[in-house]
Amino acid sequence: MAYSKEFQDHLAHPRNAGELADATAIAEETNPVCGDRMRLSLRIHNGRIEAARFLAYGCPPTLACGSALAEMLEGMTANDAAILTRNDIVRAVGGLPARKLHAAALAIETLRAATNAAK
Amino acid sequence: MRRIYLDHSATTPVDSRVLEAMLPYLTQKFGNASSVHQMGQEARAGVDRARRQLAAFTGAHPNEIVFTSGGTEANNLAILGVAAAVPKPGHMIISAIEHPSVRTSAEFLQKHGWEVTILAVHQRGIVRVEDVQSALKPETVLISVMTANNEIGTIQPIAELGGLVRGERDRGRRNLWFHTDAVQAAGRLPLDVKALGCDLLSLSAHKIYAPKGTGALFVRKGVRLLPLQHGGHQERERRGGTEAVPNIVAFGTAAELAQKEMPERNEHVRRLRDRFEEQLASHVEDFVLNGDRELRLPHLSNISFRFVEGEGLLIHLDMQGIAVSTGSACSSGTIQASPIIRALGRDEELARGSIRFSFGKDNADEDVEYIVEMTARAVESLRRLSPLARQSAAVI
Repeated sequence: MAYSKEFQDHLAHPRNAGELADATAIAEETNPVCGDRMRLSLRIHNGRIEAARFLAYGCPPTLACGSALAEMLEGMTANDAAILTRNDIVRAVGGLPARKLHAAALAIETLRAATNAAK
Repeated sequence: MRRIYLDHSATTPVDSRVLEAMLPYLTQKFGNASSVHQMGQEARAGVDRARRQLAAFTGAHPNEIVFTSGGTEANNLAILGVAAAVPKPGHMIISAIEHPSVRTSAEFLQKHGWEVTILAVHQRGIVRVEDVQSALKPETVLISVMTANNEIGTIQPIAELGGLVRGERDRGRRNLWFHTDAVQAAGRLPLDVKALGCDLLSLSAHKIYAPKGTGALFVRKGVRLLPLQHGGHQERERRGGTEAVPNIVAFGTAAELAQKEMPERNEHVRRLRDRFEEQLASHVEDFVLNGDRELRLPHLSNISFRFVEGEGLLIHLDMQGIAVSTGSACSSGTIQASPIIRALGRDEELARGSIRFSFGKDNADEDVEYIVEMTARAVESLRRLSPLARQSAAVI
């Protein structure tokens, strides 16, 4: 398997999987080409993300990126979350092959949709 | 970590007896089979013996066996070689579940003026003889239907199709040929070219416990076929290039062993496969078996798990030391759901969630429990993450 240790760890032990019953922002995005889906629920209080949960359907990078995103979001301010990029996600999973970068892009799109929903 | 190889439809390990047979041809008997001297003739004898072994394996005459670099080349040679031998583009019939080497060869011909009919395989994954009959046209030159499918293992009605073609020939059609890709069927089904009634039949060595890089095409005497590889006079002018003597020797030995041991090997893998499916049903919900349950190869089980994606499941199993395969592939944000599973009329989600478990002669009875346990665990873990599973639960 060509994936990094961090990647495999996210896949074997996904962080923050599930949904928040008391979410203040929820978003679900689909990659229209491949059908991969990601759902993110956030509880934002006083501009800070107190809790983040994700669900994902798709290839392994999509699952790993969802896990990495949900993990890094907790405790972050909504403003800092708004400037996260695809590369931050790619770094968090220990790198991705070029053909799988779309998974990190889906994570960022879902994050943007969730933070927009919170506004 | 425990390692269990369950991808025998992709490739098989080299049998120690096969390795033993080929080794002298790498070192002491390394001559070129076309050389006149004694060392060349030793190599020639090895190739000739393998040719007789392959002929016995398929019920063919040794002169009807053409060694190639593998199943893909055998399929290319069958299709493009026959096409090259006719004066103008004609019509060809293939099934919707052919191996890419058949499908893309047909597409290549299509770009060069040929008409190609692709036959549906319906829900069971099996071609209907009447569909072939009604697809026939006066200008049909070639029918290519695989003996058994590589992804779902369904067995096609080859002898009936062979009978159909012979009937047409008896009524005066001279230029209609029938090819079958038997790469997956070899070693698992008896292959007698006379009983099957085929004119061309493809084989690959590495699916029957011999090394990669060698295959064969049976070309019935009288079939008009032009070579694709131009060079020397090898293979009776049908395939130029120095013979891969050690690999060919290995292929011959593997074919002989496969024929001799077929009943025991089939019984063994069938028992493991059936037990696997039975136990899985009591551990996992919401899965479907793809392809006909009865008319399929004994070693293979193709399963779609609802709400999960095949590649995710594959990687999860790989992390537990279990090697399987999936027919769908995701690359650059585009998904290619398995065309084979799609051809069965399954929806996109099921086509993305299909996994092929293919057992082999060296798998052990005690592997089954571990495979079931790890599969159930991986499916459960992926479903916990899946928004599709949550949605479905909400609907219910």
